Amino acid sequence: MRSRRKDLRQIRAKRIVDCISDAAHRWANADFTPRVRATQAVAERTGYSLPVVEYAFDQLFLPLIAETLENSIASEIGSLSALDDFIARPGKPDGHASPIGRVCIISSRTTIGVGLLPALYALCAKCDVTVKDRQDALVGAFFGTLAEEDEAFAHSARAQSWDGARNASRLTGFDVVVAFGTNRALQAIRGTLPADTQFVGFGSRASAGYVTAESLAQAETLEAIAAGAARDLVLFETEGCLSLHVLFLEVSAGLPPSFVPMLARHIELANAEFPIGQRDRSESARVASVRKTAEFRASTGHGAVYSDAACSYVLEWDPPTGEPPPLAPRCLAVIPVCNPQQAASYLRQHHLRLEALACSQRRTDVLEAGSDAGGVRLTRFGELQRPPAGAHHGGRPRIGDFIRWIDREI
Amino acid sequence: MSGYPEETTALDGELLRTMRSWRDGGHALHEDEFNELALRVFRYQLRYNEPYRQYCATLSETNRTLPSNWQSIPPVPASAFKDAILTTFDSARAALVFETSGTTRGRSGTHYMETNALYDEALLAGFNRAMLADGAVLRYFNLVPNPLERPGSSLGYMMAKVSARYGDGNTGWYVRAEDVRATEFLRDLGGAMAQGVAVCISGTAFGLVHILDVLGARKMRFVLPAGSRIMETGGLKGRTRVLSRENFYEELARTFGVPRESIVAEYGMTELTSQYYDEPASRAAAQRTKAGPPWLRSMVVDAAGNALPENIVGTLVHFDLANRGSVMAVATEDLAYASGESFVLLGRDADASLRGCSLDAEDLLPI
Repeated sequence: MRSRRKDLRQIRAKRIVDCISDAAHRWANADFTPRVRATQAVAERTGYSLPVVEYAFDQLFLPLIAETLENSIASEIGSLSALDDFIARPGKPDGHASPIGRVCIISSRTTIGVGLLPALYALCAKCDVTVKDRQDALVGAFFGTLAEEDEAFAHSARAQSWDGARNASRLTGFDVVVAFGTNRALQAIRGTLPADTQFVGFGSRASAGYVTAESLAQAETLEAIAAGAARDLVLFETEGCLSLHVLFLEVSAGLPPSFVPMLARHIELANAEFPIGQRDRSESARVASVRKTAEFRASTGHGAVYSDAACSYVLEWDPPTGEPPPLAPRCLAVIPVCNPQQAASYLRQHHLRLEALACSQRRTDVLEAGSDAGGVRLTRFGELQRPPAGAHHGGRPRIGDFIRWIDREI
Repeated sequence: MSGYPEETTALDGELLRTMRSWRDGGHALHEDEFNELALRVFRYQLRYNEPYRQYCATLSETNRTLPSNWQSIPPVPASAFKDAILTTFDSARAALVFETSGTTRGRSGTHYMETNALYDEALLAGFNRAMLADGAVLRYFNLVPNPLERPGSSLGYMMAKVSARYGDGNTGWYVRAEDVRATEFLRDLGGAMAQGVAVCISGTAFGLVHILDVLGARKMRFVLPAGSRIMETGGLKGRTRVLSRENFYEELARTFGVPRESIVAEYGMTELTSQYYDEPASRAAAQRTKAGPPWLRSMVVDAAGNALPENIVGTLVHFDLANRGSVMAVATEDLAYASGESFVLLGRDADASLRGCSLDAEDLLPI
């Protein structure tokens, strides 16, 4: 008699969470062989330097502990047990968070690990998960470790290569499709899906920083703000939705305040900690062009530019506000504003929907402007690129998209 | 500005003579002739173009010595045309004012020209030698903005001049308010075919792809009269469906029934006065090379601005002596590699855009 294939529905949610936590613990060790292999592969794929990839892996796996996962799930659905059985809910019928079914996560050269987290939450929800990625070495390898923890993962979690055009028609049969990409790409994918497939798209977003006038007046805290902003800029070559793309200083235009050269100094320090990766020619050309443009403006008396001999970064003070931020590796526009409304107006003008805003202090009007601009994370400088494991990427629930509530009224 | 009119007249005279001599007799400039003229134009611009002078003053090497050869002339980034009025004259006196598209980077730039003489002569000579070596009189089908509607379009101005000078008097314009008028285009093309008149379809890649899509949807193909040709310009990324140049030309050749060699890419930019075209000898080759007229030269450089040897990819810097009234040396982000006196253009990417979490999301598109 053949034994039934074990899948995640047959094990308790707590066990799933523990397996993920244990696997993440193994991956948090920089010498863990699969991680060593994946580090090299991801560095080659992204062009990021090894310290950047190591940092990304640490940020991804270190916080993935059972308690964090349990808490983030419980905060959304009341209790981890709801994934196993009906639970009592005050003022509501008993409810069971049943798996929604088959989940597909599509990514193509995403920022490191961005597709992994939704996959893990979908697994916590006991869904059958397929991650389609063009060339990722990370997800498949991590799934391999999960399968070592419990064979049920081998049947419920798979990573497949994705060849875009040809695969696009093969998205039928999934209950949820999660995709990362530009709005145009997401629209195209959504168009291929059957009407009853739930689509979760993570589109283009930017992140910004805001240093208040009060902070600029406090010399003792400025160095820390500059160091944090520098790190937010250089990590992942300014490519992710959590990268610092534009920085607002609450100060009048004119000569750059001392904070700007201080920031340039800290960017150079951050460059030493996180060396620039392999830039392709087009990126190099763009960075060089950003610098030449800023130098030309500065020569005509507009703004100022900070860079280094290798053109590894470009910091432009007071560029024309009619122009969007450079969106090039380690390039940052620093814009003087009178108030947060002016910053919000700049973001609106350039159709920049925020993912996160780093702010130098907790000031209500700044945080409101950030959330009005779409921001779903309001945080400190230096934290932009370190979202908590339970953070709501794109403002979405972590597990809510992967469950189907069953209410028991009898 | 004492001496300006005299200097200007003398320089323009020399440039116009150079252009006509090439147009009529194919006379090219020797290296030392180009060098001498380029340095003259540079010194003139340093004297009379204040923003350029200021810019050069910030470049340390220029502070100490003037360049000794054309390759050392400091280029401005193409974006400088957005940030300053780059003229050797009062821009209020400009005879021609062209605007860059500015669609993706928010602001448009402006290229002011003091007279139309240099521009007209440069564009007509360039088009004549690159596109009309056989002396053909063609009917022009322009898939570019009509200058009557968009006077700031340098491409529209160019095609108006070309059509008026070299056309059969029945020029058609098929882009209005950014829309491609496919039905009118097809009706008029049918008319030209019925009369057996050879045509020149000129258009941006965007406009041509749109026409191909319309024809594809209607399952229509043509065999244009012998001698017909197509001039395309502009990049393939950003505004249209993603298509390799190879496939694009295949589709054009198949749909319009013209030999692939009769499809010629023009490479120009509003910030320049002169244009490059596919070299005739390379039009049948897989990798086409581009060449400009004798008064236009290019250099492929690395990110620090150093010249790169042949076959090494870098970005293009143009030295267009016909930019006499603005700045002759213009740096671009266009990727290319040098091949002899010419270059192979690799990419004119759309401007950087926000990528979200996916770094090459276009790969996800079901094409």
